[in-house]
Order: sequence, then structure tokens, then C-alpha cells
Amino acid sequence: MGWEEAQVRGYPEFVRAAQSYRGRPIFALFCGDKDAEGRSWCPDCVTAEPIVRKELHNLPDESVFIYCLVGDRAYWKDPNNEFRMNLKLTGVPTLLKYGTPQKLVEEECFKAELVRMLFTED
Amino acid sequence: MHQAALLGSAIKDAQHYGWNISQPVHHTWSVMAQGVQNYVKSLNWGHRVQLQEKKVKYFNIKGSFSDPHTVRGLTKAGKEIVVTADNIVIATGGRPKYPMHVAGALEYGITSDDLFWLKKSPGKTLVVGASYVSLECAGFLTGIGLDTTVMMRSIPLRGFDQQMASLVTEHMESYGTKFLKRCFPTKVEKLENDRLQVTWKNADLDTEETDSFNTVMWAVGRAPDTKTLNLETVGVKTNSETGKIIVDANEATSVPHIYAVGDITEGRPELTPTAIAAGKLLAQRLFGQSSELMDYDNVPTTVFTPLEYGCVGLSEEAAVQRHGSDNIEVYHAYYKPLEFTVAERDATQCYMKMVCLREREQRILGLHFIGPNAGEVIQGFALGIKCGATYPQMMKTVGIHPTCAEEVTKLHITKRSGLDATVTGC
Repeated sequence: MGWEEAQVRGYPEFVRAAQSYRGRPIFALFCGDKDAEGRSWCPDCVTAEPIVRKELHNLPDESVFIYCLVGDRAYWKDPNNEFRMNLKLTGVPTLLKYGTPQKLVEEECFKAELVRMLFTED
Repeated sequence: MHQAALLGSAIKDAQHYGWNISQPVHHTWSVMAQGVQNYVKSLNWGHRVQLQEKKVKYFNIKGSFSDPHTVRGLTKAGKEIVVTADNIVIATGGRPKYPMHVAGALEYGITSDDLFWLKKSPGKTLVVGASYVSLECAGFLTGIGLDTTVMMRSIPLRGFDQQMASLVTEHMESYGTKFLKRCFPTKVEKLENDRLQVTWKNADLDTEETDSFNTVMWAVGRAPDTKTLNLETVGVKTNSETGKIIVDANEATSVPHIYAVGDITEGRPELTPTAIAAGKLLAQRLFGQSSELMDYDNVPTTVFTPLEYGCVGLSEEAAVQRHGSDNIEVYHAYYKPLEFTVAERDATQCYMKMVCLREREQRILGLHFIGPNAGEVIQGFALGIKCGATYPQMMKTVGIHPTCAEEVTKLHITKRSGLDATVTGC
């Protein structure tokens, strides 16, 4: 069946998406919002996204890749935003395997071997 | 989980300090278990990331030797992986033993490996064994409110100072853990309601007794995990009694380029930090940066029972055996931790002793401490003992007030004097 991608923006949309794909392995990449030209306010996210996308073909069958824009810079900087409070995210970009403690944060997302390891290992 | 139990006691103490908490306070196993399990899983992931960052190739396989420089094994998917190397280090550790002569032991009992991964509370539990694993587990199970019994064949904490071991178990008894002393199990059967019926022999009364439990946990020792490694084929010698790998001071086995570290090796303390330190030094020796050997003496450790026991150096018995009782001086004290005073807690087993040579500089051979935060207390003193600290040097060390540790620096009553060793607080 291969893998599929879902694109969401904001916390409530993310939760809905994660719930709808319940039972399948879910991987999520959280990035800062993009402007009209498609550039994120978060420079590390700009670097990480193509590296992560290049490894997507390693995703196990049946899995879902949720690409989630978290919000604008002000929203993200708020220490009580929903992603920080509920998902315990500490930075963007964050790439994680939903429902497990497996995640890569910030510069860790630049390393193709780590991304591949997250996608392929138990 | 020990911390979870300590917090339970702290909640009870809190009332004495003015906190309004409605009693009794209840504990939910699944909340604690999930927190602990998530943390452990995150550690595993953290290690994987670090290994990858250091460019260490990681093969998740059960390997065995096919020749002295070759290890092979199957992946989960059944693919065979073959790895050759100039140097090989074996660090497969130990696994909890099941008492195979006890009927039903394997089918119905669990070990410490399983205890931490239980999703539901173990309920009324029998812990069989007198090791630190047994006492620590029984201790926190009691602390979170479960009906817990320890069954011991003979002495508690074999290998540790026996006076201290007795104080540890005495405290556990007053804390609520039941002890079946000088008893050993003969069989475990499953009852209709899923409970386990355990039958045992009481060696003192020469009777057979029985009771039912929700969970039976075996903590009767650990055995090295070498059977599947194929060591005989490549000539790595093991101790025929223990199964452990025989190594020299270089951590080398009987085959020159094959090394071993950790619980798998014969005659070493079975402690994580010791294995890690030995492994690091081995790596430094192998790649030319150092010739330093691992020093296995004066390794500090702590037993995390409800009242903790920390120690470094020789037990009193070992010191007497090595030097003779005339040549050692034991300074000791019963003390009361400050946190026990207002909370009106029983400090009967809060005790410390320092074993020293009697002659000239009075070098400290061993330090033993029972009380809260024993690990934190002993860690700093381990440095002093490593450096050859003496009793006069300890007496010149000024204590920090108010702490329990300061009492170490004030130890002055000897066992030899026969005087009352109870010290008063501030």
C-alpha cells in the first residue's frame, strides 16, 4: 500500500489527522508557518524539510506522514502553546514517530542517516 | 519506582509540616508504569541516536562466534549478517535466573525484567530472594501500598556487610514488608481465580506452608548469557561453576584479541558504572592512548531499599578477615535525619560506621551509611577513600550543617569502647 502524506496546520487539525489514522504508524514533521512565497520563518525548518522529504521513500508500508505547520513565530514562542504543552515539543523542526519517545529535534533533522533510522527502526 | 514509593512516604510526612492532604492517598500503578516505561524507551532511542552520531554501525541481531574473528547472526527478518573484526568485546551481561527445580516457576513466576513492564498492578506479591534486586523491589511495592512478602533462604544481601544488611531488612519489616525467613519454595500452582498458590518449606520449623498471591517474582540470582555465543568453539574459557568469562587485568579472555567487560566477567562487581569504566579504559588501551588498567577496588554502591544503604570499601567482616580484629578500629553512630524529626519518623535503623586500620595513619578501609539519600552521601566520600583518606583527615573535614553526611565527619565512638553510639542532633 506504500505510505501517504497529510498536510495540516495548527494543533486541532493535527489531532484530528492523527486520530483519523489511528492504528497505522504515524510520522510527523512540525515546521514554522510559510509566507506567501513558501518560505518558513524558521530557517532550520527550511534546511530540514528537503532532507526529510528525500528519506520518505524509506517509510514502512501503511504509514502516514503528517506535515504540520505549527503557526507563526509569535505563537511558537509562547511557552504555553498547545504543541509544547500537549506534545511536549521543544523546538522546530521536530520529526517524530507518533506515540513513541522517538524523535529528532532541530539539527538532528539535518542528518539523513538519523531520519532514515527513525523511519526504519523499531 | 523507588522514588514513587518515597514520595508516598513524603506525602504522609507532609501533614506534620502543615500540608492539608486528605488521607489515605491512593496509588495508581498504570500511571507510574507508563511514566517509567516511556522514560526507559526514550533512553534506548537516545543511545541509538548517539551511536549513529559517532558513526558506530549497529546490528540488531543475536550474534554468535563462527570463528575467533567472525560473528554471525540473524536479523528479525531472518537475514544473515556476518561481521569480522580484529578485536571483539563481549558484554552480554546477565539474565535473571528461574529456580528450575521449583514446579511452576517458569510458567507462573516473573522476574525483575518483567516487573517494570507490567501494565497492571502486580497486587499481592511474593518476592523470592535476598539480593538487592529482591529487597529493592519488595521495598517499593510495599511503599506504593501493595501486600508484599519477601522469602529468603538464608542471609540477606550476601557479600554486603551483614550488620548493615540486617538493619536494612529490620527497617523494611517495620515499614510493612513481610518476611519469610529461612524458607524456600517447593512449587507454584495456578488457582481458578488466576491467583498463584505457593508452597514452601520453613527450614527452622521444619514445616510446609502455603499461601496465595497475585504475583510471584523470582530474584534468586543472575546468570551470564553465554550459552548461545559459541564460546567453546573459539576457545574462550569460562568458569565451569558460574558460566562467567575468565578475564585478566586487561579484560582479555583466553583468546588474545577477544575481550569481555561487565557482568559477564568472573570476579568483578556486577555494577553498571564499573562495566562502563572498564569498557572506556579498554578502548583507550586498545587504541594506544593509555596503559591504565581498571581499578576494581573501592567501588561505591548503594542499595535503594526504602531506607537506603550506601557503602564504599571493605565490609567489617572483610576487614577483620584481611587485617585481624586487633588491627582495625570501627567508628560508629546511630543518628536521626533532620527530615525524620518533625515528621515523627522512626530512625532506629539510621546508622553509619567507618572501618579503619588501627595503626599509624589509620587509613579508612570502608564506609557504610544507612539513611535517606545514601547514594548521594557516599559518592563524595568514595573520592576520599580512593585517595587513601585517613581517620585524622576525616576528622579535619568540616561537616555541612544540617545534613546526615556531616555525621560521617564527626564519627568518634568506637565499637571497641562499648559506649552508646547514639549521637544527638543540633
